[in-house]
Amino acid sequence: MGVSSFVEGLARWLAYLGGAVLFVGSILTVVSVIGRAFIFAGLSPIAGDYEIVEALSGFAVFCFLPICQLRRGHVIVDLFTNAMGPRLVRLVDALSEIIMAIVLIVIAWRLTLGFQDKLRYGETSFIRQFPIWWPYFACLLPAYVAALTGVYTSALAIGSVATGRDLLPEHQGVE
Amino acid sequence: MSGITLGIISFVILLGMVFIRVPIGLSMFTCGAVGMWVITGSPMPVLNHLKNVTYSTFSSYDFSVVPLFLLMGQFAAFGGISTKLFKVAENWLGHRKGGIAMATIGACAGFGAICGSSMATAATMTQVALPELKRNGYSGALSAGTLAAGGTLGILIPPSIILIIYASLAEQNIAKLFLCAFIPGLLAALGYMLTIRIVVWFRPSEGTVLPRVPYGQRLWNLVRVWDILIVFVAVLGGIYGGFFTPTEASAFGAVGTGLIAWARGGMNGANLREAILYTANVSAMMFFILLGAGLYNSFLALSQLPQEAATMVIELGLGPWVILSIMLVLYFILGGPMDSLSMILLTIPIFYPIIMKLDFGLTPEETALWFGILVLISVEVGLISPPVGMNLFIIQSMARHISTGEIFRGVVPFIVSDATRTAILVAFPSITLYLLRLMY
Repeated sequence: MGVSSFVEGLARWLAYLGGAVLFVGSILTVVSVIGRAFIFAGLSPIAGDYEIVEALSGFAVFCFLPICQLRRGHVIVDLFTNAMGPRLVRLVDALSEIIMAIVLIVIAWRLTLGFQDKLRYGETSFIRQFPIWWPYFACLLPAYVAALTGVYTSALAIGSVATGRDLLPEHQGVE
Repeated sequence: MSGITLGIISFVILLGMVFIRVPIGLSMFTCGAVGMWVITGSPMPVLNHLKNVTYSTFSSYDFSVVPLFLLMGQFAAFGGISTKLFKVAENWLGHRKGGIAMATIGACAGFGAICGSSMATAATMTQVALPELKRNGYSGALSAGTLAAGGTLGILIPPSIILIIYASLAEQNIAKLFLCAFIPGLLAALGYMLTIRIVVWFRPSEGTVLPRVPYGQRLWNLVRVWDILIVFVAVLGGIYGGFFTPTEASAFGAVGTGLIAWARGGMNGANLREAILYTANVSAMMFFILLGAGLYNSFLALSQLPQEAATMVIELGLGPWVILSIMLVLYFILGGPMDSLSMILLTIPIFYPIIMKLDFGLTPEETALWFGILVLISVEVGLISPPVGMNLFIIQSMARHISTGEIFRGVVPFIVSDATRTAILVAFPSITLYLLRLMY
């Protein structure tokens, strides 16, 4: 029970953090647009607002990955589910979860190397000139949590095959 | 093995994976990554690509509208905006025969103008309109058909997430694409209302007619939703007027609907958390598909399959209209089991080069925009096609008292309406392009 509530809590709070960051990004955009509209009154848009919004929303999406993984939000085609029968479904689901975990681990691993590259070459954003490694660095934590969540859901899926009981929630299959 | 053979094999494996319920995004990611490994003979190119591609996909400025539009839709639902829209539409249409069903379509169209997802529209409007339809004696079949079809207006009427993705794939201007979607979206809403009128004409027992509301009262009720109207005008006017980028419009919409929801008292802690978790879940799913499709399409480009396929199809010597019709029918069929985002991401890289080589008597840009709208519509018909349309599942899960058979029966007249509209838009490209030609 301890592990599941820990992973669930972590995924949830990352999602809230991502939501908050996203909202900050949209308020920043609104302020910038208002500034642009009232240039005649001496206001001005926020320079490089695009870049900031990009960095913020990139971080937010990374923060959203764990909850989607945990709640099985990834869309599937369940046209043949009934024909496959519960045993085969659990087996295929376990394989999917394992591949997903590998993919999430690879993503986190490559992101880390990407971060090291950006740090080494000191690449900066075009207008605001902030180092690109900043957002990369911020995304590392949610990427690691996503990989961890992938391992956790694979363990549950393997457990489902072994015990014949569904330990993972139903797929949500949303558009 | 040639690149083409590899491309075809990967496509078969991909479809196989998808149909044994491997998540679509994951299937594309895996096939793309393994395919690139095989075709380049080394894992390094794809691994190096992955150093940056995840972050750059997730932080794309164009795609940042996805979470923002989702958030906006959630705020709009919690803020009671959907209820208000329905009341306003009922005021104007309720006294006609089938009026409450028509009002549902009207409210869906309004909601669609601030929401870019058809599932969210169907779910929200089912909550609001279904009790009202039931109370006024509408059959389960007509109610379900109306809500399923109305839900597709979420994506047919701009802003639309699918169109944004198409714009980035086909390198077209998003504002122009939205402009082209406007008249077809309006025609869809009118077509659905006409369908309701015809159904009610055949079954006069269907539904009660509400007393006519005087115009003064109608206008007054419209004025009372001024805050919603402002968000409407800002989002749509901003995009069409070229004053906003879609991202800016979605940011405005999210903040605006958030404020309305808060001011109208619909936003407590629990609702806010639920809105964020929903947005997180769906955004992550969509971005993972975008990432997987990006990888898969890079592999396809390496394999030369899209170019070769285009040449092959052209050499078949079929007329442009025949090829276009085959594609649309294919979308129509695939649109049932596949989700629209993955389907567009998979097919456009192959179909788009073919379409652009055909002569429809339009400029290249016009062809690209027109084709985008046609694809959007045919994909959406898939969403309401029995037995696997997604919107039907949504309604079924929310309206337990309506049987599956009733839902399937109820949606048929609306599919006929969709098919008729598609045929008209195919035959007369100038309808879709009218506003574009007027403004540019």
